[in-house]
Amino acid sequence: MAVVQDTGEVTEQSDEPVLLIGEVRTCLLPHSQAMTTRGAADLLRLRAGEQVRRSERPNSYVRSPPLLTGVDCHLPTASGGKVRAVGTVTAHATLTEGRLLQSGAYCAVTAHGPRSRRRWGHYLARPGVVEPFGTLSERDVADGSLGEDRRPGELALGAIVDRTLSRVLRDRALDQRPPFTSQATALRWVGLRAPDGEGASLTSFTLAGDGCRTAELRLPAGTAAEAAAGLCHDLSLHDWLLTSLVRVVELSRLGSTDGRDSLAALRPAVDHLIHLWLPGSRVASALLPLWEALERHPGFTRQWSILVQRIRDQLALQTAVHLLP
Amino acid sequence: MTGERTGGVFRETTAEPRTRAVPLAHVSLELGHFATEDFKAGPERLRAHFARIRPWADAARAVAAAGARRPRVSTCLLVDDYRADLSPPAALLPVLIAEAGRAGLVIDYLARESGCAVADGVRVAEEVEARLVESPPPGSDGSRPPVGQTGWLANGRRTPGVRTVEAMADAPGWRPPAETATRRHSIFVDAELWDEEPGARRRWSCAFLAAVWQLARLGLLRHFGDPVLQPVPWTVGADFPGDWDTLPPLIRINPSAAPFSAYRTCSVLPSRLLPVEHAVRVVLDQVDVEPRALHQVAARALDEGLPVPEEISDRISYVFHEGP
Repeated sequence: MAVVQDTGEVTEQSDEPVLLIGEVRTCLLPHSQAMTTRGAADLLRLRAGEQVRRSERPNSYVRSPPLLTGVDCHLPTASGGKVRAVGTVTAHATLTEGRLLQSGAYCAVTAHGPRSRRRWGHYLARPGVVEPFGTLSERDVADGSLGEDRRPGELALGAIVDRTLSRVLRDRALDQRPPFTSQATALRWVGLRAPDGEGASLTSFTLAGDGCRTAELRLPAGTAAEAAAGLCHDLSLHDWLLTSLVRVVELSRLGSTDGRDSLAALRPAVDHLIHLWLPGSRVASALLPLWEALERHPGFTRQWSILVQRIRDQLALQTAVHLLP
Repeated sequence: MTGERTGGVFRETTAEPRTRAVPLAHVSLELGHFATEDFKAGPERLRAHFARIRPWADAARAVAAAGARRPRVSTCLLVDDYRADLSPPAALLPVLIAEAGRAGLVIDYLARESGCAVADGVRVAEEVEARLVESPPPGSDGSRPPVGQTGWLANGRRTPGVRTVEAMADAPGWRPPAETATRRHSIFVDAELWDEEPGARRRWSCAFLAAVWQLARLGLLRHFGDPVLQPVPWTVGADFPGDWDTLPPLIRINPSAAPFSAYRTCSVLPSRLLPVEHAVRVVLDQVDVEPRALHQVAARALDEGLPVPEEISDRISYVFHEGP
């Protein structure tokens, strides 16, 4: 018959996360028109009664409330070792310029955890944090997370991402008539702790087939998981743009076909893609140097600019041809 | 990532979620949960109830006072207008308030249970349901959707469906359910949150509405960042309406009351409600409360030197008494 306790003890403490695991998918919204910010906010209201974040500068950007999924399973490992972990995965969907739909999920894994499961309230109080049973081998789990093969029973971030994405795609507000065909891309990413005193860096960014990309980051202690996820969303978005523009230019068979045909093929790029290039605009300032590394090599913006210039040259040429008597 | 975290001088308020805080007492003390049968039995039954719980109410106050220099305790009670046809507020409430007063108890706040389902046009229960994050049984790797579509919430792994067992000739026999957060023996609870008859509105269970009621008392309910189920001052002596729907969901009948919501709650209830309150804990253990609301309460409590337990269900306590 306990009435009220004297003091409230904070339940067991958790270690600092040492590893971030995430996945993000980027695709074109299957809708003939770009969504207005208001329409996008309605589309991404994935949880009743909760605010959708909206931003208008430097472009229109809407983000759903975070959705948590409880997990109690093995973490992916490269070695095949079994590391059970419990906690929650954070997922959300975003829409940029009413056009580019992204769905992402991530979790932060702590270095150590107790060998038995704690009360669920403990994990709920740490949204997006997963605690291993025992000690985490972060390199092994990072490699396992970036690897191609997922063993049954291992954490399936991709499934959570897909589920969030399909919730949005099923919305009746969408007419399922995208202005052009494109391929969705997926980026799997991990963030490991940078050595003390060192800043954030991008260790690798890999393009694999089938629109699959992987990225490995080094992050100083205390970097918010949300900030790292934000950077990866931005990378994935611009990688999708570049991939899609390359494809549009390829399909237009620029320079080898009749001008009118290639003009028609290039039109979606001009109408829907070219204005979307804004790398780093929503990335935390501490993580901007990671973008700059990609700009130096291979030079995302350089490739984009060349493609855009080619398209504009073609348009100018066609106009000139029409003006000639 | 939204604009505000990138640093610099530029800000967009729509990109920053905002959450309004609520005033907070130390303890919210519930003096009862009244349904048709309590009123039908006449004022004597109410009188006996308040006389019986008076010592426990005093004890709860004394415990609250031990922790704080100037304890703020508010009292409340809940009238069940959700399930059964009740006589109008004008007929019931004056008697209820008078009988509490006769026992020396002051009722600060009075709520009607249907307000825990829908309050001022906000579907409170539905929004709480949308915040349920189920405790994953071992083996949950995220690949299956949460089973939240069924209207049931458990504290563990259910027994596999009987039909599937029959369908598979070589299936193992019956497997017991298992409570997730236990070391050995289970006390498995599977609570019904709502039911639905074809063509009719969803009916929330008493247990689920009681969980919403606890969240309201703990100051943890928000609707687009704004508090919901907030008290409306009610002038003592003003006539109660003839219709429950026209009564605000939560009224403050004592003008000098401490705030309605509190760091902790204590409910004085008859023992027969124990199973309901067990289900309430199962629900509260799996609600992903709005983090900013949670933080506001925790920070204020810490400022006062009365830190709250991290887990919501550890903030609630009960006195279960005998009798109807």
